[in-house]
Amino acid sequence: MKPFTSSSIRVNSRPFAVKCFSALLLSAAIAPAVDFDDCYKVEDIKLPEGAPPEVGGMDFASDDTLFVVLRRGDVIKAKPSGNAGNFQWELFATGFHNGCGIDVVTPSKVRITQMADMTEVEDTDGDGKADRFMRFASGWGLSGNYHETNTLTKDGKGGYYISVGTASHAGPTFEHVLGDYSAAGRRGRNYASVKWKGWILHADNKGKVTPFASGFRMANGIYQDPDGNLWAGDNQGDWKAITPLYHVEQGNFYGHPSSLVWDSAWKGKDPLATYRNDLDAYNKHRTKAAVEMPNKEINRSAGEPYELPRDGSFGPFAGQLVVPDNNGERISRVMLEKVNGKFQGAVTQFIQNHGLRSGNHRIRFSHDGKQMYVGQTVRGWGSPAEGLQRITWKGGVPFDIETFKITKKGFKVTFTKDLPDELKEKKAWDFSSFTVQPKWTYGSDQENEREHDVKALKVTDKRSVEIELEDFSAGKIYKLELPKKLKSADDESPLQNRLAFYTANELPK
Amino acid sequence: MRKTLLFFCLGLPPLLANPLLTYENRPLGAPDAPLVMSTYLPDPGLNPAVFSHHHNSAPAPKYNPSKGEDVPGEEKPIPAVVAGLAVSFGPSLAYVFDTTECRPFYAWQGGFLDFTPYWGDQKRGSRVSFDYIPRLVGNLFHKAAGKNPVHIDGKSVDDLGGLEYVGYSLLKGVPRFEYKAGGHLVTVMIQPSEKELSFDAEVTCDPPAPIAWKEGDFSAEGNGKLSFTYTGKALGNYQGYKLKVDLRKANKEAGETLYNSYGCIACHSTDGSKGHGPSLGGLADEKVELEGSDKPVVADREYLLESIKTPNAKIVKGYPPNYMPPFGLPDVEYDSLILYIQSLSKPE
Repeated sequence: MKPFTSSSIRVNSRPFAVKCFSALLLSAAIAPAVDFDDCYKVEDIKLPEGAPPEVGGMDFASDDTLFVVLRRGDVIKAKPSGNAGNFQWELFATGFHNGCGIDVVTPSKVRITQMADMTEVEDTDGDGKADRFMRFASGWGLSGNYHETNTLTKDGKGGYYISVGTASHAGPTFEHVLGDYSAAGRRGRNYASVKWKGWILHADNKGKVTPFASGFRMANGIYQDPDGNLWAGDNQGDWKAITPLYHVEQGNFYGHPSSLVWDSAWKGKDPLATYRNDLDAYNKHRTKAAVEMPNKEINRSAGEPYELPRDGSFGPFAGQLVVPDNNGERISRVMLEKVNGKFQGAVTQFIQNHGLRSGNHRIRFSHDGKQMYVGQTVRGWGSPAEGLQRITWKGGVPFDIETFKITKKGFKVTFTKDLPDELKEKKAWDFSSFTVQPKWTYGSDQENEREHDVKALKVTDKRSVEIELEDFSAGKIYKLELPKKLKSADDESPLQNRLAFYTANELPK
Repeated sequence: MRKTLLFFCLGLPPLLANPLLTYENRPLGAPDAPLVMSTYLPDPGLNPAVFSHHHNSAPAPKYNPSKGEDVPGEEKPIPAVVAGLAVSFGPSLAYVFDTTECRPFYAWQGGFLDFTPYWGDQKRGSRVSFDYIPRLVGNLFHKAAGKNPVHIDGKSVDDLGGLEYVGYSLLKGVPRFEYKAGGHLVTVMIQPSEKELSFDAEVTCDPPAPIAWKEGDFSAEGNGKLSFTYTGKALGNYQGYKLKVDLRKANKEAGETLYNSYGCIACHSTDGSKGHGPSLGGLADEKVELEGSDKPVVADREYLLESIKTPNAKIVKGYPPNYMPPFGLPDVEYDSLILYIQSLSKPE
């Protein structure tokens, strides 16, 4: 974690800087307790009056202009203002069909994934408004269902990965559809009656589309991290036991069978019926989630994963992934590691409540990395929770789990601050485990639930503990529930999150 | 004029010089600022032949998500346009350009579209289930028929091969569509006409060739470029979205219509299967376990009414609080919904 330096004070307004500096001087003497709200500020960004603030997607231009695509079709833009209520929004373009992915190519050119295609939109005459709307990429079908929304992430080479949502049984298909139709793909709860529903596609820099990975239900958010790893969440539902976060690699199948009707290896077969009746074969074929996020405790519906700035400009947990919850007032925080060459790891919350709305599904950072913009929409699913919020790191570090790593016999947990004495005792560490089997049902119950006694505990430094667990094995999700009212030993800061879950697909060899 | 909201607040200057799409479900463009919308669109009885580059779907076996199996019955596909662009110049002209068939599908005057089924009601935030097709508003005067009306060198572009939508440019706000066909780049620009039930069109092809527009009895010809006025006839009057429901007194049929139109089905199944919210199948008069309480309650009329009116008063075990919006409905609608829920038998 980057220390609280004078450079991070400088960007703040003078009175605030003076206040912080005084606090810094003071902290050397008495180190006051730090709570979440001391470190982060959550603000509502005012969108234009009267416009439904259903944020489908957003992205920053190189000149810092923030572009937001609203689900009814408008694309608006504004230079971020220090005053969240004072963004000077202008209309850039209109008419997109449920645009849920946007890449700002230049300050006058954006690309948007909408239901039927990805369109490049350009202001060619420099009047600030788009005047050219060219199809950039297409090739996926459209059945007419409301659920078939798409989103994108950049591939780093001028192209994109595009996630194509399945249709829902709570809506029909049209008589005349876009692209090939598959009767086998039309069956089941969420379905893929037309091409590439439930797939992640790759579009190259010319817009040429090729299939990349299958088995998604509704990956509402994909993200390529700075190392080139592709991440996608999904929504609990049929064939999604709880909320998964996948490390997406070419050619893999991530568990929702309907998409397989568009895999030539399944030509003439019925993947839904096949796997409904043979979960063993299904489990052999599917690639498991790198991290499972229990939907009730952690994340009900994964939005776009995003990495916290590696340079520490957004404070602690630098380089960790966060996953917004589209159905909860929270953004989850994922602590990944590579075990035997594969990603897996733990999840807890980054923020829960503190003024955050629900509907969270898109994340972007300001160019200085100090502000996280969170786009929200749920229209059509439950209470409207729509809009744009911004979380600013004010400085300071809350007391929380910093890393959660697996060992051959258990876990090593490191905190952001010094361990309270209570955590140096075995009895404070309440570990249990369970498994989940995705199947045709809407979500799956936890199975094989059991407690794990702590066999041994070793304090390895003043912030870290190594735990050895009874009957520790792979293939389970481990739940850690820490005691209530814990405070750090050094500055008595309250522990932010008592719950964390580690998906132990593998034990280190 | 396209509906413009007043952006004045506390005496500050307007936030936006241009109007935005708002909660107004009947947006309109203007002659000098047409509105172009990519959206699902209604099919006002188009001849199936005009969908020649689409694929046909088919009735699907009814699927029961609580059993994970097909059950007797069929899900029938519905008529609609899946990938069209709707253009509004205000009351003077509206038309649909289909991006798959690369041709205008239909044109009308006197209004544009009512998005209520798709965008939902601002207060309730839900689309209309099994629908979400905006409805036409106005007088239809043109419907596509037969092959693509643009002919190059005497052949419909449908028969030239390589038909491919490219995009559109706004020329002084007016969209000019571009597509490829048989090695030509074709452009189509349609604008309001001074004549009734008419539009003015300009079509070009590059490289230039003899070009014609032939649709039904209408025909116009040119070379590389073609301008004409199309005059149609009154084909029907449309008045937007209307919920068909008899609410003279509470009844379960109305309850079912409301259950669909308020989007309840997106979260609550009727067959016992889990979703974002508890299933309504066989719920009535059964015991319900609640969050934060060891004592189950009975889902009687009073419980059902409270759960629709103030959904957060009691949260069913395993479901999130603050998820369902409170529905401020007339009593007859509450009563109809309850009658519908009470009519749903317990799933097998």
